[in-house]
Amino acid sequence: MPQLHDVDYTLEYPYTRTTGPVIGPFLTGLRDGRILGQRCGDRVLCPPMEFDPDSFATLEPDLVEVGPGGEVVNWTWVAEPSAKHPFDRPFGFAFIKLDGADTDLVHAVDTGGDPQAMSTGMRVRAQFRDERHGSVADVYFVPEADAADQVIEPGEEPVTITEHLIGLRINEPLYPHRARFAQGLLDGKIIGQRSPVTGKVYVPGRGYDNMSRVLMSEADEVEVSDVGTVVAFTELNPVQYYGQTETEPYVRCSILFDGTDQPVIGIDIRDMTVDEMRVGMRMRCIWRDPEERSVEDIDNRYGNIPETVYARFEPTGEPDIPADELKEHSW
Amino acid sequence: MVSLAEDVAIVAFEQTPSHAHFNDSEPAMIMPCVNSVIEQVGMDRHDIDFTIAGSCDYLSGMPFAFVMNIDAVGAWPPVYESHVEMDGAWALFEGFVRLQSGDIDTVLVSGSGKCSPGSYREGFSLQTDPYVHAPIGLDPRTQAGFQAQALIAAGKATERDFAEVVARSHANAKNNPYAQLSGDLSVDELLAEPYVQQPLRRLDCPPTSDGAAAMVIARADKARELCDNPVWIRAIDHRIDSHHPTLRDLTDSPSVRIAADRVGLHDGPVDIAELTVTYSPEEIILRDALGLNGETAVNPSGGPLTGSPFMAVGLTRVIELARAIRNGDGGRGVAHASSGPALQQNLLCVLEGDN
Repeated sequence: MPQLHDVDYTLEYPYTRTTGPVIGPFLTGLRDGRILGQRCGDRVLCPPMEFDPDSFATLEPDLVEVGPGGEVVNWTWVAEPSAKHPFDRPFGFAFIKLDGADTDLVHAVDTGGDPQAMSTGMRVRAQFRDERHGSVADVYFVPEADAADQVIEPGEEPVTITEHLIGLRINEPLYPHRARFAQGLLDGKIIGQRSPVTGKVYVPGRGYDNMSRVLMSEADEVEVSDVGTVVAFTELNPVQYYGQTETEPYVRCSILFDGTDQPVIGIDIRDMTVDEMRVGMRMRCIWRDPEERSVEDIDNRYGNIPETVYARFEPTGEPDIPADELKEHSW
Repeated sequence: MVSLAEDVAIVAFEQTPSHAHFNDSEPAMIMPCVNSVIEQVGMDRHDIDFTIAGSCDYLSGMPFAFVMNIDAVGAWPPVYESHVEMDGAWALFEGFVRLQSGDIDTVLVSGSGKCSPGSYREGFSLQTDPYVHAPIGLDPRTQAGFQAQALIAAGKATERDFAEVVARSHANAKNNPYAQLSGDLSVDELLAEPYVQQPLRRLDCPPTSDGAAAMVIARADKARELCDNPVWIRAIDHRIDSHHPTLRDLTDSPSVRIAADRVGLHDGPVDIAELTVTYSPEEIILRDALGLNGETAVNPSGGPLTGSPFMAVGLTRVIELARAIRNGDGGRGVAHASSGPALQQNLLCVLEGDN
């Protein structure tokens, strides 16, 4: 039989940023195997900046090559790398004063996992990754004695946009009330929560009544009907954003189940066109066979009644409910 | 020191315990705190003039998670409401400033965060420079490691000093029912632990925590009407150092020094300091920058090393100080909140009792 599971997802966004007149050449340089600093009076700033960090005066772009060698002036050892670090084995992060620069660059030093190899004053040298994208992650550092000579083919166009795929991994159990709601769906039941203050029934419950500011528990839970009334619908024309899996238009509706006070939103209809939908139409849930039901898309925030538990919603043929009687629920 | 247009006091406060994992939603975590402070002042929810919360969507793992948190503050029918993507201490700051305009009397402030479902190291690396720091995952623990190493290199502290901060914090937390960690630790045993971020060990770093805090603040006349023992907010200030750690002297905190001057910290006795010591070396920097001597009790609650629900932890420092003043443990003190890596941003709040 299908089972409940912990919530485990990664929320990702690809950020693209314009690079501007100073960072652009810096990232272009990294792609092409060179590190550039910005002149600021008689100093050279690396990482380069568009402004004087002391006076905040704007600096005209004036870039000069620094490194590839440098000296570690501060460091810390990362015993437990995160998924966002440049290495998946322990490594050092360091302040590196590159030869020819007057400020320090923060970057990663790979010593093959050996913290004993790190020290203040040690010499390091830049190494460039085989695949470079015009990002500060195109480069890393190693102890100077370990550095290999590299031949880097310069790219063609200057880097004017840099892309950074950010990601947050979320991993936690289903909250108790979400677990009971999800188990209900696997059992072919819709579980709601009845407010102990107002008596209103919410589906799915959130574990509280936000109108009365009271927490709700298993004692407040009720099984509700799987027959209800369409209170809103629309046709979705999928925009091809990052992560989109839908390609064709489809209908999404909200259904107010009998005996409840809050419609369940986001119910997808695949076998009816938008022209066949009506506010007030009576619909019944036709469940999938028990062994075919899945609630893997239900997490602690998203997921009401997913398509993975129902085969379709079917008009009951009863007379429509007048829309005027539903106006408190048109969401 | 800035003179105030309006005297403002804390009239009610509440916090959750620092949970290793709170297995329900963030609104469900905040709601009992909000209900408690409203009950303490005996007001109808909708008679509170302004509502403001601090939280972080990157921690919650959902865009606009802060909107869901409004469920917890009783926002229907609609209320006058705002949010900061900062610790609740900054929500308090905005509420305090809002009261200075003199046209409203009361503000409901909250702060909340759940660190346990995600990785704060990954999430908070995204608040660093997006071109040169975030793409290499430069996380707050790494920056704390740099700060610790800088202190050692400058001869301002040793790893034993860090361990002593940890041991004292955990011992203080034995009296704090909200603390997540507490107990008697031996400095030598702490120093025998392995590094997680050399030169930092596990207990030099904060535990993973979930928690929330809330308070009601009010203008003077209203404050006296609402409670018998208001705790006065004498001053608040917030200052920022560069987000480039390599452009800072990591062994000092110029922003704390400026803020301490602006709030007139030493214009009166500093009996208690509740400091956002997220990593043990920060206490050494903060004591120095605040000019504290042996007469000030530092983190009698145990501080964030014993429970660190990000986005509530700074507001909780204010609450711990207010509670200590109400309990008569001191007459005047300072609460400190921090944001950004390695004490990059600092907020100071001076509280004083009614006497």
